[in-house]
Amino acid sequence: MIFDVSVLGRTVKAEVKVRGDVYQVTIDGKPHTVDFRETGRDFASLLLDGRSFEAGLERKQGGFIVHLPVDNIEVALQEAARGSASAHKKATGPARVTAPMPGKIVRVLIEAGQEVAAGAGLIVMEAMKMENELRAPRAGRVQSVAAREGLAVETGALLVVIE
Amino acid sequence: MNFKKILIANRGEIAVRVIRACRELGIPSVAVYSEADRLALHVRRADEAYEIGPAPSRDSYLRMDRILDVAKRCGADAIHPGYGFLSENAAFARACDDAGITFIGPRAETIQAMGEKTSARRIAVEAGVPVVPGTLHPVTSDEEIRREAARIGFPLMLKAAAGGGGKGLRLVPHADDLATAALRARSEAKSAFGDDSVYLEKAVLQPRHIEIQVMADAHGNAIHLYERECTIQRRHQKVIEESPSPFLTPELRERMGALAVALVKKVGYVNAGTLEFLVDKDREPYFLEMNTRLQVEHPVTEMVTNFDLVKLQIRVAQGEKLPITQADVRQTGHAIECRVYAEDPERGFLPSPGKIVALRVPGGPGVRDDSGVYEGYDVPIHYDPMISKLVAWGRTREDAINRMRRAVSEYKVLGIQTTLPFFERVMRHPDFLAGDFDTSFVEKAFAQHEVKREAPWEVAVAAAAIQAYRDRQARRGALTQSAGARPASGWRVRGWREGPGGRL
Repeated sequence: MIFDVSVLGRTVKAEVKVRGDVYQVTIDGKPHTVDFRETGRDFASLLLDGRSFEAGLERKQGGFIVHLPVDNIEVALQEAARGSASAHKKATGPARVTAPMPGKIVRVLIEAGQEVAAGAGLIVMEAMKMENELRAPRAGRVQSVAAREGLAVETGALLVVIE
Repeated sequence: MNFKKILIANRGEIAVRVIRACRELGIPSVAVYSEADRLALHVRRADEAYEIGPAPSRDSYLRMDRILDVAKRCGADAIHPGYGFLSENAAFARACDDAGITFIGPRAETIQAMGEKTSARRIAVEAGVPVVPGTLHPVTSDEEIRREAARIGFPLMLKAAAGGGGKGLRLVPHADDLATAALRARSEAKSAFGDDSVYLEKAVLQPRHIEIQVMADAHGNAIHLYERECTIQRRHQKVIEESPSPFLTPELRERMGALAVALVKKVGYVNAGTLEFLVDKDREPYFLEMNTRLQVEHPVTEMVTNFDLVKLQIRVAQGEKLPITQADVRQTGHAIECRVYAEDPERGFLPSPGKIVALRVPGGPGVRDDSGVYEGYDVPIHYDPMISKLVAWGRTREDAINRMRRAVSEYKVLGIQTTLPFFERVMRHPDFLAGDFDTSFVEKAFAQHEVKREAPWEVAVAAAAIQAYRDRQARRGALTQSAGARPASGWRVRGWREGPGGRL
């Protein structure tokens, strides 16, 4: 099985084959022998060419966050046969400002139709007793404001659209 | 007189910490919890637990009436307030007295005198303890804030008069920033402490934040347990503490300890407390404020002095004399604490609440983890984002740092972002290793001086690709026929098998 992989700004191909208890993983043409054993829910012990790693494998949309002893590394991947790796394609068009965390809208600093500069404060959110100001990702006109003061929102909730 | 039962008016790791001390002393413990906290660890660890209201703190953990009602009904004769919530609330200490329940902390008058920050500054001046120049009275109007700011000069600090813990606190670099900062500081102060009055202080340049732990009994005995270095902060909240401070000379250490004991004796302080000082680049200490409670970072002191501060608190509150004198207190070795927050250090330390899907906690020599969470626990949005305190002890500072780095590498929290990767980098930062940092370390030195290192990305790719492969196989119902899931029976399949079909 071949994967298109995107990791730390690199794009690589990784092929996985299995024989008995070990896997052969070829990353950009370089083969590695990997003994992979589950050591608990979302954890695995890897012996990779003789080097030992305990990895946490946190599932994310389109890939994993791999927790290694010194780093947490985001790995986006998809099967090569299913098309090109486009996990990180940036959307163009209006800028959507969404809630970066669950919390409460404390204040709405702008209204629809208003021109804002890049970095201008839009919304003040409170989460875990701290107030955080959400700023405009770029300059533009506020197209719509979905945020209302006092509203409790989940991560990813659409708050403001700037065109 | 020994307490029959102790109620802990708090939640999370500190409630668990107090429950542990109670259990070791053989005293039954009572937890209280909000509707959001039925599954919190302190509820699971206590001997008894009672619900006290909805999730918001003001409807539960700040409801004195409900907490006292629970205490009376369950027969608790003492209340430990932990830190935060009601711990520095004089009215609560008084209400406990009126109900015939011992408040494990200082007397209500002392909390009031030292808890109101400007009053504490006045008392310090009277006791001959140096303070940072600024207002000696709370300021409540924007007009007065502008006037005082002009008198003191910029840069200055705006602080909640009733505050602590970095809430309602703003650095104001220039006059232009004053209006916004005042608005935000007063709004935060209002919601955190129910009081929007503030005070102003001249900002000390390149300051170190060093505090002295004190402990006093009701018989006039007071000691200090040396310092904690709390300079590494983000958003004015501590993230790493250590003891001893690499910045203090033995003379300054003794001097600050003596100042702390003098102030404590002056106000007739009882129980555990902490005096916070700013020490400027010329090693001049300025008294900042007193925390009339147990501190988050108390384990650092426990590790280097070998005294259990919570048990001392309980014994002193029972009316006992301090079982130790100043001569018994020695700093042995070095301890570092990292506060593990449910926050994303890559995105400006934004809160990252949610479910901890998997958890591995470090152990081994010299490592202590004071945690309030467990695998499967959902970190709620309603409370402070600290989930645990990781502490490492070593014979020297270098040993402690190496041990902390090792412990951090063993610590795995999956499902939410935490500050652990940030600590791994701090423990390798040359300025931190050299003990050369001030309170701007996180924003300036650390951000500009990121220690580059080649991440083991190929290992991550191999792990992710194999897991993805296994997931595909599992979905196809073929996992039982593939690697890893088969018992090690010794038989081997010849030849490489190719996915996704898993055919031989």
